[in-house]
Amino acid sequence: MTIENREEFLNKLASRLGRERRTEGVERPQWSVTPQEEVFKGMNQDELAEVLEKHCQVIHTTFKRTDRAGLTQVLRETIEGYEGKLIVTSNDPRHQEYGVAEFFEEAREQLDVHVWDPAAGKENQRIAEKADVGLVYSDITLAESGTVTLFNNKNNGRSISLLPKTFIAIIPKSTLVPRMTQAAQQIHRAQAQGEDCASYVSFISGPSNSADIEMNLIVGVHGPIKATYILVD
Amino acid sequence: MSIKLGEVPYKDRVQTGIEDDFMRQAVSSAQGRFRNGRLTQAAELGNWEDWRELGSEIRTHTLQNLDYYLKQLSDNVARRGGHVFFAETAEEANQYVKNIIKKKQAKKVVKAKSMVTEEIGLNKALEEVGAEVVESDLGEWILQLDEDPPSHIVTPALHKNRQQIRETFAKKKGYTGSDTPEEMAAFAREQLRQDFLAADVGVTGCNFAIAESGAVTLVTNEGNAEMVTSLPDTVISVMGMERIVPTWEEMEVLVGLLTRAAVGQKLTSYITAITGARLEGEIDGPEEFHLVVVDNGRSKILGTEFQSALHCIRCAACINACPVYRHIGGHAYNSIYPGPIGAVITPLLEGYDDHKELPYASTLCAACTEACPVKIPLHEHLIRHRQIIVEQEKKAPTAEKLMMKGFAKWSSSPAIYNLSAKMAKPALGPWTKDGMIENGPGPLKDWTGARDFYAPQGQSFRAWFKQRQKDGETS
Amino acid sequence: MKVSLFSTCLSDILFADVAKNTLEILERVGCEVDYPMEQTCCGQPAYNSGYLQEAKQSMKQMMKAFKHSEYVVGPSGSCVGMLKEYPKIFADDPEWAEEAKRFAAKCYEITEFLVDVMGVTDVGSTFKGKVTFHSSCHMKRILGVKEQPKTLLRNVKGVELVDLPMEEDCCGFGGTFSVKNPVISQEMVSEKSRHVAETEAEYLVGADMGCLMNIGGRMRREGKNVKVVHITEILNTH
Repeated sequence: MTIENREEFLNKLASRLGRERRTEGVERPQWSVTPQEEVFKGMNQDELAEVLEKHCQVIHTTFKRTDRAGLTQVLRETIEGYEGKLIVTSNDPRHQEYGVAEFFEEAREQLDVHVWDPAAGKENQRIAEKADVGLVYSDITLAESGTVTLFNNKNNGRSISLLPKTFIAIIPKSTLVPRMTQAAQQIHRAQAQGEDCASYVSFISGPSNSADIEMNLIVGVHGPIKATYILVD
Repeated sequence: MSIKLGEVPYKDRVQTGIEDDFMRQAVSSAQGRFRNGRLTQAAELGNWEDWRELGSEIRTHTLQNLDYYLKQLSDNVARRGGHVFFAETAEEANQYVKNIIKKKQAKKVVKAKSMVTEEIGLNKALEEVGAEVVESDLGEWILQLDEDPPSHIVTPALHKNRQQIRETFAKKKGYTGSDTPEEMAAFAREQLRQDFLAADVGVTGCNFAIAESGAVTLVTNEGNAEMVTSLPDTVISVMGMERIVPTWEEMEVLVGLLTRAAVGQKLTSYITAITGARLEGEIDGPEEFHLVVVDNGRSKILGTEFQSALHCIRCAACINACPVYRHIGGHAYNSIYPGPIGAVITPLLEGYDDHKELPYASTLCAACTEACPVKIPLHEHLIRHRQIIVEQEKKAPTAEKLMMKGFAKWSSSPAIYNLSAKMAKPALGPWTKDGMIENGPGPLKDWTGARDFYAPQGQSFRAWFKQRQKDGETS
Repeated sequence: MKVSLFSTCLSDILFADVAKNTLEILERVGCEVDYPMEQTCCGQPAYNSGYLQEAKQSMKQMMKAFKHSEYVVGPSGSCVGMLKEYPKIFADDPEWAEEAKRFAAKCYEITEFLVDVMGVTDVGSTFKGKVTFHSSCHMKRILGVKEQPKTLLRNVKGVELVDLPMEEDCCGFGGTFSVKNPVISQEMVSEKSRHVAETEAEYLVGADMGCLMNIGGRMRREGKNVKVVHITEILNTH
């Protein structure tokens, strides 16, 4: 697409910096310290899971842990807890893998599950807006900050984690990493090799909140009001 | 609108701030909370100084190569289906955005919080072409309804109490509920949800643009930036030209510094990176994405001794540490950017004429420098401003200039100095009572307006020492 | 150990006891102390107000006065902090750049000197009273001397040290700030005075006479009964 006024603008910057324009060959220096790489270094997945569980309390997020066998039961209970009738969820192969697709089938009398469908256009958004629950799988999970990372795309709409009243993230234990450092590294390495990043990357840490009224913390402003993470071993 | 907020003289602004009990209480309490948050996070990391050093190195390298990274960024945004406009002035930026609004015949524009759009006065420009602009950050929405400027970079409505907010909601939006924060926030959610869904255009700022991908990173707790970048068909991100990092790896370091230093959180609830227009098959996100890169005076700072002021990541840690800010509040600075960082960059962006008091509104206690997560030497910049005001701008008061000339003579001449040491006690004698001066002459008058002055007790130290030497005393 | 005393102009002219006590403490711990009479002022009042040329005249005089000293020790964190800035200030001055570096390297604040150079943490003094300590901004943040005063205070027999709320917050003096921005300065010193009162201490102690005369002067105006004392007095009381 278009780029306007760039040359004049950047030429001015170079001249302010007292040199010619640099258009190639700039490398990041070796930083003198790299504290980000030391955080939770060497922790295994179970230890990271403990960190995640602890931090969920801080970010007003309910934490549940189960295995593949128990997932659908925990999911059912969580949805019931949120009085969920209309669910919007990503079109994710893991629904099959984790037996969740089967659960949706079985529960189709009680639950109206809308799987994100590129062919349905803006109707997806309208449903998400009315939905009680938005359900996703975490692509990378940051233990330190209790963060679910989503690489949004045509099968995983941005609205899913944003518009519904509540939010549930299924977190495969294998997706746990210490902190954003590892997620950033992954995206950077891929980008450096020519693999473009998603058009939207969401790092979500619990429900939305604000302290703009007299510094009173209110949980649930524009995004979901409640959130649950279900860690699956 | 310019960076300057209004025409009220400095002294009056300070007085208004001092007299606003609610604001001072609110600021004091918020400062305490934010400061404790930052210190707690720093202590938990255990090596905060390393993080600050890394933050400083990243910003230094990036600024030194700003032209390179902006080229890389713009190439990537364009490759990802976005349009990039480089705006040297506020007017150019506003005109570009207005053209988009006109072309799209946009009626409703929803905005996520952006300091740079306030700086360039974008809202007013959009209203001129008939768009309804709705701020979606709760604090900014409150201020927009109330037509009040922000008083803090991160919590802009800090100076408002719940009764004032309730009144604003009632008057401007027909709110009939109580003044409990929960109820008012629920009302805001419901109201703004309609605006998000109906918006033709979304406007955001930019916390960190990622050069290697062409991504714009947005940091919020409310989820409003996410609404603004997912629902409307056209999204425009406006960025101060210095708000950029080379790769995702630097973004994550700076984001973590920002959220900890600003509000004591490891991360805010939402960190999102939007790259260009939505891809084929995607429903959410814009068809059309624009990035407006704004200079508006920043290039004046580049290549000068003040360049490190451009390292700022807009966390407001300096504002939260500043004792002067605590007593006078944000509006007293009369700039979109208050507090220490405001006092440093406002004269650089807008000149000294309207802002010459700002560099002096500080005791140089260096709490700001100590708090800054990217190690900007804020108090040193303030001293440099003072030097410029005195020597280049020649805006120092005459009486003060004379006094300082006298100081130079006195301190470079032992003879004159010695005389003053002898004369101090007798000279101040007439005003001294019980060893104290309660109502002093000349330069002492302002001092004794609020506190007693200790009169010289007896001999000067040097007189005593001379005597002691004569007497051949040692301990 | 040969030490040159830097009295500070404030102590020399207004608070001679502070320099006297400093001298006696240094002698007690075994130093041979001289007092170069050519010393005047560190230059801070002019420097902080933006008067660089005037400040430099002060600073050159100071460097001249202490040219032959091995150590320069003074009872003020902010004044010694100023001396330590000379290398940066004279960095582009071919005539003074080296001298400024040499000079700054030998300058110490008294508590810093006692603890870090002399290795003394107990000066063997006795002072009965409930005291609270205000750490001056310049000493803490610019000079970087944080723990040394309290280390020494804790070892003084009879001292009951209580923490001052928001101890690290500025007292509002800031040199010319107190007269250029008197309204704000008054608010800041009043807040500091309130915090001192909260501790119910009998004595407010500090290592900077500038802060102490500001807070002390305010407390007296408010009719508060707290005595203000420089740390050198406590360290020199037996």
